[in-house]
Amino acid sequence: MARTDISDDPMASSQTTVPTTTDPILELRGVDVTFDMDRGQSRVIDDVNIDVQRQEILGVVGESGSGKSMFASALLDAVVNPGTLSGEVTYRPDPDTDIDVLDLSDSDLKRLRWEEISMVFQGAQSSFNPTLSVRGHFTETLKAHDYDVAEGLERARELLEDLYLDPDRILDSYAHELSGGMQQRALIALSLVLEPNVLVMDEPTAALDLLMQRSILSLLNELQDKYDLTVVFITHDLPLVAGLADRLAVMYAFQFAEVGPAREVVLDAAHPYTRALLRSVPNLDIPLEEMQAIEGSAPDPVDAPEGCSYHPRCPLATEECRIEDPPFETVETGHYAACYHHESTAKAVPFDIEDHAPEATEEWP
Amino acid sequence: MTSTRYYTKRLGQSVVTVFAVVTLSFVLIRLMPGGPVDYLRAQYIQQNLSPEEVQEKIALYTNIRTDETILEQYVGYMTSLAQFDLGRSIFYDRSVSAILGEAIPWTVLYMSIALCLMFVIGVSLGAFMAYREGSYFDTLSTLTAIVANSVPYYIAAILLVYALGFELSVLPTSGRMNPDTVVGMNVQFVLGVFAHAALPVLSLVVTGFGGKAITMRGNAISELGEDYLRVARLRGLSERRIALRYVARNAILPMYTGMMISIGTMFGGSVILEMIFAYPGVGYYVFKSISARDYPLMMGGFILITVAVVIGVLIADLTYGKLDPRAGGESDEAF
Repeated sequence: MARTDISDDPMASSQTTVPTTTDPILELRGVDVTFDMDRGQSRVIDDVNIDVQRQEILGVVGESGSGKSMFASALLDAVVNPGTLSGEVTYRPDPDTDIDVLDLSDSDLKRLRWEEISMVFQGAQSSFNPTLSVRGHFTETLKAHDYDVAEGLERARELLEDLYLDPDRILDSYAHELSGGMQQRALIALSLVLEPNVLVMDEPTAALDLLMQRSILSLLNELQDKYDLTVVFITHDLPLVAGLADRLAVMYAFQFAEVGPAREVVLDAAHPYTRALLRSVPNLDIPLEEMQAIEGSAPDPVDAPEGCSYHPRCPLATEECRIEDPPFETVETGHYAACYHHESTAKAVPFDIEDHAPEATEEWP
Repeated sequence: MTSTRYYTKRLGQSVVTVFAVVTLSFVLIRLMPGGPVDYLRAQYIQQNLSPEEVQEKIALYTNIRTDETILEQYVGYMTSLAQFDLGRSIFYDRSVSAILGEAIPWTVLYMSIALCLMFVIGVSLGAFMAYREGSYFDTLSTLTAIVANSVPYYIAAILLVYALGFELSVLPTSGRMNPDTVVGMNVQFVLGVFAHAALPVLSLVVTGFGGKAITMRGNAISELGEDYLRVARLRGLSERRIALRYVARNAILPMYTGMMISIGTMFGGSVILEMIFAYPGVGYYVFKSISARDYPLMMGGFILITVAVVIGVLIADLTYGKLDPRAGGESDEAF
């Protein structure tokens, strides 16, 4: 697996710290996604700054309604109407080429999607046209992008074989004739048929059983190696992605709360929300009385709290947190947390990962 | 092969259905008050004939053996029916198959034109409404479609006869061809036939397209909200392909069975319409036979209507699995 090189951040102590990487393939600066609603403006992505490093697996974790899926859509400029996407999304197919994604013409945007950045959705069955065979989906995609169909189908077969599927059987089937795991794998093959550089996966394993989740993750690892993919893996399931991702980005209330190398984020989380999230993950080894839910509920996108959006639920919240939204601060090189008190979270929200989440440590790559 | 078994079974069910309906019709029409003899007697009495003459004429013109029990009549009828003999019309004194055979093409002609127009207009309008959901066009079309669909076709027929036939005199109000023309493939004759079919077609289409449009609108709107449509757009498919292969195709599928059934009901639906336009098609003769208590012709008409519906449903059933891979008939392993 391609390891991520994390830069020495030149602005480590500055207030405008942005979680940068050395060779970003995607760069988001000040990205907002808003919906105008009757009761006000709903801000479902709020001033997000993040880099996606070339050939890494970035795990994006957050609870339901934290803006994960909107973040995924933003990467392809595919926010559904009537949402509006603003800010800067830069795509670098190679380190010296900048493409401003939000400024592309329709035909260039069509090329960017699926040829450069591709996406796998949650719920594979609803991603296929029920009256069109799987082969039909591959053919129409290849045709729409003026690719050679015969050559493309050959690639599709190879991809399906990489995913341990029988190409002929899958191609001749309709979506409803396949099992959930087969559908999801066929969808992954479909998303890779135009040889994109980036694969965005929005909860790709949510509808699958545990065994299938695990096997899809290991297949994803193999695919990433073989095709030099950059993967953005979005999930609500932190332990699932912890063993897969190079870096983790934790989302809370439409912003990133913490970004850093996966191991560090899990073992030594700096943001109180990340720690609380880790503590609330169900685990058979933890006695029930030690399991803790996070008190309160996630904020409303129309009426987010002043200051840090986590302060109403945070045991560390001070006056400062209530007034001003904390910027990212460098915890360690490449590890950022948007919290004024990141130095004292370990004490305030105790969480002994070694004892409580053995699977996260044992399965470390 | 299991699918052959399914086809055979489905065909068998159809035969049983037809048999049951024929039996039921046979019993029911004999429960109607009066009978062909009473009808003729009333006719002749009105012509001031003496009772002896009336009796004589009735004996001459009817081939009904009123002395037989209903069971004997039934067995006799079914036996000749099995030999494809529908009997002789009492009222017209011609064979039933000749009367119906001559009438069927006329009904099929205007009915198929009407059904085609109804579906083409309804489906296209409904699709446009779905794409412009919530616009003034959509609201106005929905209102028009509901109002038009709420008018019974025979009311529309009478209004159209009055407006286009009598007031404006642009279309003929009765008959099925221009009597001055020579029957055959000549322009005058064909034009005359279409002119005579125009009003029946119009009254069916005006009152029928609305329902199809509303159904299509609903289907297309739910189709437009499907996840796979979003994925298809991201995959870069053209709007044209999405509109035709995704939205239209999948939205029409649930209407297919309804379409096949309405082809089956075309004869039954023609009864009142053809009386209004005095259009001698199947419906016209069925209506005449009912008022004359012309048992053989009535039975012939009912059997024709039944068989048409059963065949329509049968075709719908047997072909739907070919169109929608999700409904592969009973035999498919996929569930």
